[in-house]
Amino acid sequence: MSAHTTSMRDALYEAPGPKTRRRTLIITAISLALVAIGIGVIIRQFYITGQLDAKYWSFFLRPSTWRYIAGGFVGTLRVAAVAGALALVLGILLMLARTSGIKPLSFAAHVITDFFRGVPSLLLIYFFYLALPQYGLRIPAFWMITTPVALAASGVLAEVFRAGVNAVPKGQAEAALSIGLTPHKTMMKIVLPQALRIVVPSLISQLVVVVKDTTVAYVVSYPDLMQNARVLITNTDALVQVYFVVAILYILVNYAINQLSIYMARRSGNPIISRTTENPT
Amino acid sequence: MPAETPVIEMRHVDKHYGALHVLQDINLSVDKGEVVVLIGPSGSGKSTLCRTINRLETIDSGEILIEGEPLPQEGKELAKMRAEIGMVFQSFNLFAHKTILDNVTLGPREVLKTPKDVAEQEAMRLLARVGVEAQAHKVPAQLSGGQQQRVAIARSLAMHPKAMLFDEPTSALDPEMINEVLEVMVELAREGMTMVVVTHEMNFARRVSNRVIFMADGQIVEEGTPDEFFDHPKSLRAKDFLDSIRGH
Repeated sequence: MSAHTTSMRDALYEAPGPKTRRRTLIITAISLALVAIGIGVIIRQFYITGQLDAKYWSFFLRPSTWRYIAGGFVGTLRVAAVAGALALVLGILLMLARTSGIKPLSFAAHVITDFFRGVPSLLLIYFFYLALPQYGLRIPAFWMITTPVALAASGVLAEVFRAGVNAVPKGQAEAALSIGLTPHKTMMKIVLPQALRIVVPSLISQLVVVVKDTTVAYVVSYPDLMQNARVLITNTDALVQVYFVVAILYILVNYAINQLSIYMARRSGNPIISRTTENPT
Repeated sequence: MPAETPVIEMRHVDKHYGALHVLQDINLSVDKGEVVVLIGPSGSGKSTLCRTINRLETIDSGEILIEGEPLPQEGKELAKMRAEIGMVFQSFNLFAHKTILDNVTLGPREVLKTPKDVAEQEAMRLLARVGVEAQAHKVPAQLSGGQQQRVAIARSLAMHPKAMLFDEPTSALDPEMINEVLEVMVELAREGMTMVVVTHEMNFARRVSNRVIFMADGQIVEEGTPDEFFDHPKSLRAKDFLDSIRGH
C-alpha cells in the first residue's frame, strides 16, 4: 500500500483522489459555516433573553461558589471511584462464576449478569432508595447511589472480562494444563492476567459510563456535582450558566479518562515488539 | 523379570466429532524409551490421537493407560498425570506474558513445589541444553520460532516427564529453523526419552524412531520400522501419501 504508516484507516479507506479532495474541502467549509451560524444564533438568543447578563455570571467570581462546586466534584469522583472498584471486583467474580464450568453456578452468574446489564441503573437506584427503606433497611445516601451504579456496571464488566478471556488463545490454557496446572490455576496464572491486559482499555472507557451514571445521585440527595449544581441554581436562578460550567467539568473528567484508556491501549498493545526493535536478537 | 508395562497404552479407543469418526478402534502401546512417529494426511486423526494421551481431547470409548494406570478423568489426579507427560505444541504456546525463565520454572514451582532458586538453576541448565540460555529474561515474542519451540521443550523437560508428546513440533517453523528443533529432539531420543511424535519429517523418523504408525481416516492403517515403512509401504494409502510428500 502507501509508503506512510499502515493504520486501520489506510486499510479501510482508499486514499482520496483530486476530485474527492476538492469535494471534501467544500463540504468542510459548508459545515464549518453552519456550525458558526448555529453558535451565533444561540449566543444572540442568550443575549436577547438576558442570559449573558452579569447577574447570572458574577457569582462565579465568588470563591464560595467554586468551593461548593468542588465539593460536589469530589462527591462525584468518590462515588465513581468506589462504584468503579466494586464493579471491577463483582465483574470478575461474575465472569469467573460464569466460566467455571459448574452448571448451576454458571447459570446463576449468567442470569445475574444479564439482569444488571438489562435493568436501567435509575431503576436500581429507586430500589435502594424507595423499596429497601420500606423493609426497614436504611443505608447512607452514599451507598444508595454507589451500590446500584456498581451493580449496573458489574454486569457490563463481567461481559467485558469474558470477551477478554475468550480472546486469549486456547493454546495458552492447553499448555498450562499440560504441565499439570489445575483448571483453576490455569485461569488465575495464565488466562486471566493476559485477558486483563487485553481489556484494560475497554475497562477504562467503561468508567466513563460509571461517571455519567453517578449524575442521578440527586435522586437520593447525595451531594455530587449534579446535586450541588441544582442547589446552586435554586439560589441563583442561573440554570443555563451553572449547567454549562458543570457540563464542561464532566467533559473534562471523561476526556481525561478516555485519554488514559488510549494511553493504556497503546502501552499494552504491543510492548513486546517495541522492545524487540530496541534490542534485536 | 516380567515384561515391562508400556508407558502409554491405548485400547479400542474411539472418538467422534459429531458425525465424523475421528478415532476408530485405536490400539497402540509405547514402551519405555521407545520413539513412535505418527504420520498421515491432515484430518487423519494423528493430532487428535496425540492429544487424547494427556486428555486435552476426551475419548468416547476404550481406555488409555499410563504405566498401567487408567488416565484420570478430572481433578488433581488428572493434573498430576499431565505433569508427568510433556507436551510440545505446533504453535509453541509459550506463556506470552511471562519471561522465558518464568515459562520454564512455572510448572516446577506451582506443581512440584520446587523452591525458586532450585527451579531457576535447573531451568537455566535446561535452557543451556537447548541453546537459548542467553534469552532467559526476554518474553516469548522476542524469540524466533525455533528458539520458542526449544524453550517449549525445556519447559516440558523441567517437569521430568515419563514421556513426551510432540504435536507437529516443526510444522509452524520457517524451514531454516526446523533443524535446530529436530536436533534437540534427536538428542532427547538418544538419551532414552519415551516419545510420541506427530510429524512429516521423514529424516527425523528414519534417524531416531523405532516405529512409524501411518494413520488415515481415523484408523491406524499400517505400522512398522521406519525403513520398512518408508522403503516398502504395504498399503496403497501409505504409498500415495509418501509419493505426495516426496513431491512426485
